[in-house]
Amino acid sequence: MRLVKLATLGLLAATAAVASPQAGSAQDGAKSITIALATEPNNLDGCGISARDVGVVLRQNVTETLTILDPETSEPLPRLAMSWERLNGTTWRFKLREGVKFHDGSDFNAEAVAISLKRHFNPDIACLDRTKIKNVEITTKVVDSHTIDIVTDPSYPLVPVMFNFVGMTAPSAPDKLVRAPVGTGPYAFRSWTPDEGIKLKRYAGYWGDKPEIESVTYVVRGESALRAAMVKLGEADIGVEIAPQDATDSDLDFSYFNTETTRIRIVAEQSPLNDIRVRKALNLAFDRDAMIGTVMAEGVMKATQLVLPNINGHNSGLKAWTYDPEQAKKLLAEAKADGVPVDKELRLIGRIGFFNNQSEMLQAMAQMWNAVGFNIKVEMMEKAQWLKLVNRPYPEKREPMLIQAQHDNGNGDAVFTFPSKYHTDGQQTDMSHPEVDKLLEEAGKSTGEKRANLYQQAIRIVEEEVVPNVMQYHMVAFMRVGPRLDFKPDASANGKIELALISLK
Amino acid sequence: MGEYLGRRTLHSAVSLIGLVVLVFFLARLTGNPADLYLPVDASIQERQNFAEIHGFNDPLIVQFGNFLAGVASFDFGESLRYSQPALQLVLHAFPTTLKLAFFSIGIALSIAIVTGALAAWRIQGVFDRIASILALAGASIPHFWIAIVGVLVFAVTLRLVPTSGTGTVAQWILPVAVLAIRPCGLIVQVVRGSMLSALSSAYVKTARAKGVRTRIIIFVHALRNAMLPVITVAGDQAVGIVNGAVIVETIFGFPGVGKLMIDAITNRDFALVQTAVLVTAVAIFLMNILIDIAYAMLDPRIRHT
Repeated sequence: MRLVKLATLGLLAATAAVASPQAGSAQDGAKSITIALATEPNNLDGCGISARDVGVVLRQNVTETLTILDPETSEPLPRLAMSWERLNGTTWRFKLREGVKFHDGSDFNAEAVAISLKRHFNPDIACLDRTKIKNVEITTKVVDSHTIDIVTDPSYPLVPVMFNFVGMTAPSAPDKLVRAPVGTGPYAFRSWTPDEGIKLKRYAGYWGDKPEIESVTYVVRGESALRAAMVKLGEADIGVEIAPQDATDSDLDFSYFNTETTRIRIVAEQSPLNDIRVRKALNLAFDRDAMIGTVMAEGVMKATQLVLPNINGHNSGLKAWTYDPEQAKKLLAEAKADGVPVDKELRLIGRIGFFNNQSEMLQAMAQMWNAVGFNIKVEMMEKAQWLKLVNRPYPEKREPMLIQAQHDNGNGDAVFTFPSKYHTDGQQTDMSHPEVDKLLEEAGKSTGEKRANLYQQAIRIVEEEVVPNVMQYHMVAFMRVGPRLDFKPDASANGKIELALISLK
Repeated sequence: MGEYLGRRTLHSAVSLIGLVVLVFFLARLTGNPADLYLPVDASIQERQNFAEIHGFNDPLIVQFGNFLAGVASFDFGESLRYSQPALQLVLHAFPTTLKLAFFSIGIALSIAIVTGALAAWRIQGVFDRIASILALAGASIPHFWIAIVGVLVFAVTLRLVPTSGTGTVAQWILPVAVLAIRPCGLIVQVVRGSMLSALSSAYVKTARAKGVRTRIIIFVHALRNAMLPVITVAGDQAVGIVNGAVIVETIFGFPGVGKLMIDAITNRDFALVQTAVLVTAVAIFLMNILIDIAYAMLDPRIRHT
C-alpha cells in the first residue's frame, strides 16, 4: 500500500515539475491575437506565398508583392509598385514605392527587386511560385533607384498579374528556403518553435497605415472540431478550414468561396471511357443538387468550368448539366449496342484528406452511376500515390479510370488553369484537341477582350464537345472568427489572412 | 546479469541495423518527394531539378552509402521539409513524447493495479462487474474518438481544461488521460486474472488461516507474485504508446516525436523518417532492458539464471 501511495505522490510531483509558465492564450494582451491553422507550413519563404499554408501567414503580412488583384475584377492594383507601363512587346517598366524598408533595415529599391527576382528563378532553390510561370525567361534592368525594367522572353502579357504572387524577399535572403522570412510588410517575423508556433510582431517602420493588432501567434491544430472549439472558448481568435459539420454557430462561422473548384477527371484513352456517350452519361447521371446542403456545404456553387466567374477567360454562357438518369441510361444502351463494354469495372479514385466529406460524396456518386448501369468502385489513396496518377509522365497505356481532382486559381487569369489541364502538352491533360490547342496558344499571346474571348471559345469546346471531366463545385470554406474581432473573410482568405484588415471590436 | 545485458545489447544492435536498412529502402519505394514538395503544376523539368539537387536521382546504392557514412559520424542528414538536421529535430521532439508516455503509463498502472486487485478479491461482486465493464470499454475505444469527445465534454461543455497546447499542467490532463485509458483497461484485466490465480494459491490460504489482514494479503502477499505478467503487458503498452501518441499529439498539437514521424512519412521526408525510427527503436530497446531489470528484481528465479 505504501508503494502505491509513494508512486502516486511521485507522479503528482513530476506532473507539477513539467508545468512551465503559462502559454499565451487569446486573451493575453488586448492587442495580440491567436490564429489556429490546419497544417504546418514546410517553410516560411517569401518565394512560396501562393502555397496556401505559407501564404496564409506571410502574404501581405510579412511579405508583400509589387501588385495585388482587385477581388471583384482581378485587375492588378499597386502595392510595392506605384505604376507600370508596357514599353514594348517584351519590356515592362515598373515604378516602385519610395520610403519602403525591409524588416532588417535594408532599403527596398530597384536593386532589391532585381535580387529578389533572381533568387526567385534560381534553379537551386525550390521556390514554389516559380512553377506557375512556365516557359518564360525573366530578366531585369535597373533604370534608377526606384525604376526597373522587366524583360520577358517570349512576350508575356501578364507581368503585372504575375507580380501579385511573386513575394519580395530581402537582399540578405540566403540561397535556400528559409524559416525566418524578412519582408517589407506591416508585420515582422519573430519566432517559430514547435512548442509556441509562429509569432509575428507589428513592424514599426512600415510604410503604410499602422495596423491595430500588435502581435500574432499561429498555432497548428489538425482537427477541425478542435479549431472550432478553440475559437468558441477564446483560446484562439480565428480558426481556419472549419469543416461544414463543425461550422454550427452562425454568429462565428463565415463561409466564403475559397477559389477551389472540384471535378472528376476522366482518363479516356481506352474503352469504355473513350466513348463520348459514356462520358456524357457520367455527367447526366450525377445529381449535383442532391449533394448541396447535405454532403457538401450549403453555399457551394455548381461549376461549369474550372475557373470562377471573376477570372479572365471564364465563359458565363456554359450551363451546368441537368440530372437526367433516363437520358444517361439511353446513351449507355446505345454505346453498349455498339459493343462498348459500359459495365467494365472502373476505379473512382479519391485522395485522403483532400477536402471535407470527399469520400462520402464519391460513395454517393458511385451509387448514382451504378444505378444507371456503370460498375464503379471508390478507392481512396494517399497523396503521393494519387500524384503518380494525375501528373505527367503518365504510364504508356493509361487504365480507364475516374480521378477526383481539385484546382484553385486565385490569380486572375485562365492561363494559370486551362493550358495545363486541357492543352495536349499540359501537365495534367487527359485530352487532345487540335482546335483547343490552337485557341489556348493564341490566347496566351493575346491581351484584353481578345484574350478572354479565345479562352471562352476554348473552354466551350472542352466542356461541350470533348467532355474530359465531370465538373462538380466551386467550393466554399468556413472560417470561425471570435467575437473579439472585427473581421470578415472574403474569397482571398484561402491563402491569405491580411492582419492589417483585422481590428478589435 | 551483466553477461545477459551484453547479449541483449548485441541482439538489439543487429535488429537495429536490419531496421535501418529496411526503413531506408522501404521509404524509397513509396515515391518521389519532388512530387509532394512542388505544386501539382510543376513541370517535369522542375521536378527533375529538385530531385537532382537533393540527390534522389543517384542510384539507390549510392544514396544508401552516403546515408551509412553519415550515420557512422552521427550525421543523419537534413530534413527536406524543415531544412534542419534531422537528429536535432527528433531529439527536440522526443522528451515531449517520453513525458507523455511516462505519465500515461504511470497513471494507468497506479489505477489499474489497485482496481484489478480489488476486483479479483470479490469475484463477480458489484465492484468487479463495474470494473470489468469499464476495463473492457477502456481497452477497446479508439484514441481519436476519446480525444475528440474528451475535448467536447471537458473543454467545451464543462470548461474544466483547455482544448489543446502544451504550456501548462492543465493542458497535459486531457492528452495524458486519453493515452492512459487503453493501457489502464488492459492492465486491469491482466491484474485481475493474475490475482485470481495468486489468491487461490496455497500461501494465500495459509495467510488467511493465520488471520492476516485482508489488505495485507491482497497488496503484499498476492500482488507481488501477480506482478510478472503485469510488468510484461505494461512494458508492451509503454513501448506501443508511440502509436497512440501519433494520434494524441496530432489532435492536441503536441510537438512530440509521434507527430513528427507521421508528418515526415506523409511528406516523404526520408532523412527525418529514418532518424525518428532509429531513435525510437533505441528508446524501445532501452525500455525493454528496463523491463528485464524489473523482472529480475521481482523474481529471484530470473536473477539467478
